[in-house]
Amino acid sequence: MASRVDIAAIHRRLAFPAIPKHLALSAALIAVLTLVPLAAGSYHIYLIELALLNVIVAIGLNLLTGNCGQISLCHASFMAIGAYTTALLMTRAGLSYLVALPVGAAAAALLGAGLGFPARRLSGLYLALVTLGFLEIVQIAIEESPDLTGGIRGLSVPRPHILGFHLKSDASVYYLVLAITVAAVTVGANLQRSRFGRAFDAIRQSSFAAQSLGIPPGQIKLLAFSVAAGFAGLAGGLFTIVVGFIDPTEFGISASLRHITFIVVGGLGSVVGSILGAVALTALPELLRGAKEYSDLVYGAILLGTLLFMPRGLKGLWDTLAKLDWRRVKIWP
Amino acid sequence: MSLLELVGVSVSFGGVAAVSELSLDIEAGEIRGLIGPNGAGKTSLINAITGVVRPIAGRILFAGRDITNLEPDAICRLGIGRTFQHVELFREETVLENVLTGLYRHQAYGTIGAALRLPSARREEAAARDEALTLLDALSLRELEGELPGELPFGIQKRIDMARALAVRPRLLLLDEPVSGMSEAEADATVATARAVAEERGITLLVVEHNMRVMMRLADRITAMHQGRVIADGTPGQIRLDKAVIDAYLGEEADAHA
Repeated sequence: MASRVDIAAIHRRLAFPAIPKHLALSAALIAVLTLVPLAAGSYHIYLIELALLNVIVAIGLNLLTGNCGQISLCHASFMAIGAYTTALLMTRAGLSYLVALPVGAAAAALLGAGLGFPARRLSGLYLALVTLGFLEIVQIAIEESPDLTGGIRGLSVPRPHILGFHLKSDASVYYLVLAITVAAVTVGANLQRSRFGRAFDAIRQSSFAAQSLGIPPGQIKLLAFSVAAGFAGLAGGLFTIVVGFIDPTEFGISASLRHITFIVVGGLGSVVGSILGAVALTALPELLRGAKEYSDLVYGAILLGTLLFMPRGLKGLWDTLAKLDWRRVKIWP
Repeated sequence: MSLLELVGVSVSFGGVAAVSELSLDIEAGEIRGLIGPNGAGKTSLINAITGVVRPIAGRILFAGRDITNLEPDAICRLGIGRTFQHVELFREETVLENVLTGLYRHQAYGTIGAALRLPSARREEAAARDEALTLLDALSLRELEGELPGELPFGIQKRIDMARALAVRPRLLLLDEPVSGMSEAEADATVATARAVAEERGITLLVVEHNMRVMMRLADRITAMHQGRVIADGTPGQIRLDKAVIDAYLGEEADAHA
């Protein structure tokens, strides 16, 4: 018996310090994504870039909808604001992309807060209508100011220079998008586990109880709107260099609905869910290319099927299958 | 000076008076019981004090400050905490997260600190966790920290509600039927804990409770309400013998047996 105990002790001493499962998995995922440009052609790189952008949008929207319980039908508009601000600052004002991108995200966050202001006292259907109205206004504003935005003809955006380095190759753009996505996911996960994430969850589940704990619902909703809009704005700014061209049709109601599909299918209130949903639904149209005319039908069926049979989304499925204890813990060790 | 002062407070719902011109004084450090038959207006009174419903008349002063028209979260930030008759726990969060949420207003780090997980934010989170676990210990809930509250017995949910309300570090804590759903032994233990915690932290308590036995043991002073008005006010011994109180309760029992 004694020898067995000794062997166990030796094993313990030799073992590496335990790395949390999610950190190990994230590191592996990032490593694989880093290798992508070596193996993939430019079309597949482009697809992965789109998936990464969608992950950023989904993370922000999930904080607003999944955690704070506020619906937004205008997330495509926040993306448009980030995209146009970034593009115009680069092409018209000659600013560096590294300046234009965060300013674009900040502009979206500011407008998000502006929209959150009347939305503080609204919820459900009324909030949906207000955000839908905002979407229309942004669409019309872009279409009706062709001198600035190029109107319905759109706007071309050249590949930028960053610190003297021209992002000419697909791989260079890809690595920039990947780095910013990793940063955005980290920030989103940090926020969700912070006191603000807990306040978001509290407001969603019982505004009444949250207020009794001194949490001001108006301020918290405003913050959620502004954070979610900022994430979408950042994704919009990245979209300009990934696609190289923006026009208002990219940022309409169908894009907004797609964003909601990401988080519902992925899993509401979960960072992992945002990633799973955005990636799965960006890849889906590619898998359906043979049946393009039915793709809307398949989208709808997936959304309905998720709501009926998988209310916790892919994240719920993942938890069940892998028995991973990734329950949202909003506590830092 | 009294900590909480109600002057001629009236609350009504669609023309039906729930509280009528009620005046009440609660001294700092006392444990005040509030009793009365169903529909006497006890919970309406708590809702008025915490800003959930707005009185149609009267003034409510807390530590000399008029709080009559403040929002519930502002009233909480001045130092009034509460529990709920039908617990309002965050059902999708663990027991520990529920209590941590109560510490929101005592954490100072901002959105940048949260987003980047700055050292100051980490320190505050660690401290908050310690404080929450201490509260769970005090209410014998420590081993349930990872559970979801919706799946736990009602009596335990009441205790989680109390732990969460204590997390806001109130000066005045309003307990709405704190021992409902509990066995006698559990109720006694909870009452003893509430007393001890209140004394240790210098918290003034206003307790609404149906269980007269519990109320006699807990309260320094009892106010009896009936049909939105105060019908008696005194020590537990005086209240037990008060004719108006006995009539109000016997009336209710007679109705119940009818």
